Amino acid sequence: MRGRPNLYTDYSKESAIFSNNTQKVWFVIVIISAIVFSFFASDYWLLLLTTAFLIAVASWGLNIVSGFAGQINLAHGFFVGIGTYTSAIIGGIATSSVIGYELDMIIWLPLSGIAASIVGLMIAPITVRLKGLNLGLVTLALVFIGSHLFSNFKTVTGGAGLGRKVAKLKLLGVDLESGIQIGTYFLDKNEILYLICLALCIFTGLGVKNLIRTRAGRAYSAIRDGDIAAEAIGINIFRYKSSAFALSSFFGGISGAMFFTVSGGVEPGTFNLLYSIIFVAIVVIGGAGTVLGPLFGAFFYTLFPAFILVAIKALEISEQSLPLNLGQIERILFGLFIILFLIFEPRGLWGIWFRLRNYFKAWPFSY
Amino acid sequence: MTIFLQATVEGLSLAAIYSLVAIGFVLIYKSMDVLSFAQPALAVVGAGIISSLAVDRGLPFIPALLLAIILTGVLSLIIERTFLRPMVGEPVFSVAVLTIGIDILLRTFLDSWIGINPRYLGDPFPTYGTLGSVNVGGINLKYLEIAALVTAIVLITVLSIFFKRSKYGVAMRATSFDQEAALAQGINVGRIFGLVWFIAGILAAFSGFFMTGGFNTLSQFSFVKALRALPAVVIGGLDSIPGAVVGSIIIGLTQGYVAYYQFQLEGIVGISLGNGFSLLAPYLIMFVILIFKPDGLFGTEEVERV
Repeated sequence: MRGRPNLYTDYSKESAIFSNNTQKVWFVIVIISAIVFSFFASDYWLLLLTTAFLIAVASWGLNIVSGFAGQINLAHGFFVGIGTYTSAIIGGIATSSVIGYELDMIIWLPLSGIAASIVGLMIAPITVRLKGLNLGLVTLALVFIGSHLFSNFKTVTGGAGLGRKVAKLKLLGVDLESGIQIGTYFLDKNEILYLICLALCIFTGLGVKNLIRTRAGRAYSAIRDGDIAAEAIGINIFRYKSSAFALSSFFGGISGAMFFTVSGGVEPGTFNLLYSIIFVAIVVIGGAGTVLGPLFGAFFYTLFPAFILVAIKALEISEQSLPLNLGQIERILFGLFIILFLIFEPRGLWGIWFRLRNYFKAWPFSY
Repeated sequence: MTIFLQATVEGLSLAAIYSLVAIGFVLIYKSMDVLSFAQPALAVVGAGIISSLAVDRGLPFIPALLLAIILTGVLSLIIERTFLRPMVGEPVFSVAVLTIGIDILLRTFLDSWIGINPRYLGDPFPTYGTLGSVNVGGINLKYLEIAALVTAIVLITVLSIFFKRSKYGVAMRATSFDQEAALAQGINVGRIFGLVWFIAGILAAFSGFFMTGGFNTLSQFSFVKALRALPAVVIGGLDSIPGAVVGSIIIGLTQGYVAYYQFQLEGIVGISLGNGFSLLAPYLIMFVILIFKPDGLFGTEEVERV
């Protein structure tokens, strides 16, 4: 089939994770350059990309329930919070005010995802009954209930305004906090975190890509496109809607556990409405219902503040002379991007990428 | 008994405030099928404009209030024309997310203007009586709360007369009933959308004032208060104006009673419900009601074609 990459002779080839060699080659190139990047980049950029990977994982989670299964979920931040606090309890250090068991990362990472998905399943009887805006509003209530719980369970979260330290970085008995020596090369904490999160991101991405071609993935799309019709052809709505919520929360939980381990501490006020909205916005900006979209969205979200900073430095404007501070400029641009993408490019960054790719595929023949 | 009456009065005045925002929500939802998350932000913007006119510019309070209310209406109209016009016919969820974007924009500008210290609105309410309140038979009535109740009742009456009698009111009802049929009858649906947003903006500004007036003050957290109108709308049903009022009363009273009786409630339940539980109670009620009635108490059930 060389030279005719778009010709598929059987179904399994067409639905393969990488349907042609170009994709395989690009995938390998991107991963290798991401790994190589970790040896050259400064800590600032490493940390930024680590965050981007983790946000991508959480956004993929939201994308499963909102993009693929078509259920509005405004409470993704709540599930991220559940994961975070599970990891903080299991892997964190106990102090006079908060509890913690200092267990290994191999235990707290999966458990934080599982705890979040259990909560996702617990609310399933409610979420499955509702759809559309009403579902969105119930999940909105969940955000407020969640932040109330988080700020009042002081033994778990440290209480509002105070917060707590999160899980310790200890993988298979090795303390990663101080870095490790591999042969002649010394990996410091940031590099280790970067590589772990990169691996997590790759696995999640491949997992999501794989998910959409399985029975469950097809059921999700069917529910999104018409839930009554889906039920009529024998799809168990309850099972698939609740499993979409559980899966989505699983990714959210894992991402939250890692995210706050990277940043070091967590305050219950973090998980407010805006925090949940950010994930919705990332999925919308990236392109809902696509595999690459949330990845684009997450990178866009984490990198554009850095670019604003670079732009301000390049234009030699002092921060004091600006009418708004940097955080506010970021938020305003973020709000504007949400609006502009929805109006002009509903398919998001993925849509732009799609059109660019198709343009260059046939270039210079535009027909 | 005094405590009960006190809680009732405070709950009702909260209900009045919520019902103004809630009616705005419902009007927009009915006519355009848009759930506008920007409404709470508009309410706070209204309060902000009053504060900037009356305190910073030194205008007398009444002209400042009227000007601010009209300006908020115009702002709301501008939002409709620029951002929501291109989204007509798009999926409901996309438009809802878009209004979240608008909300982020408005709030960020406003928060940076408000700053850290709470702002006063320059209204004369705190100067009446003892600290803006009067004592009637042991019940402490704030003038601001009374004003909120009266204003809400007047506005709701005016609006219902407007919908029943006036040409545009009838056109609005026709539009919300069936857009295409309304277009075929020669109704300018675009203008109706604009009018709906204008009215919603005015209502939001009124409630914004009553939320932040007097000693309540305008701060970066005022927004969360206005957002509590959302459960009220949901309880009543997204497309029912009487529902919005009833929902607001339920939410307002719950909040009032829980605030006063939380201690006894904790005694019954046996666990500590935590600080500020009265602010959470509306969302819990919404949660429970949606489980049993997914379309709210008064909402029309959605009939779907497969």
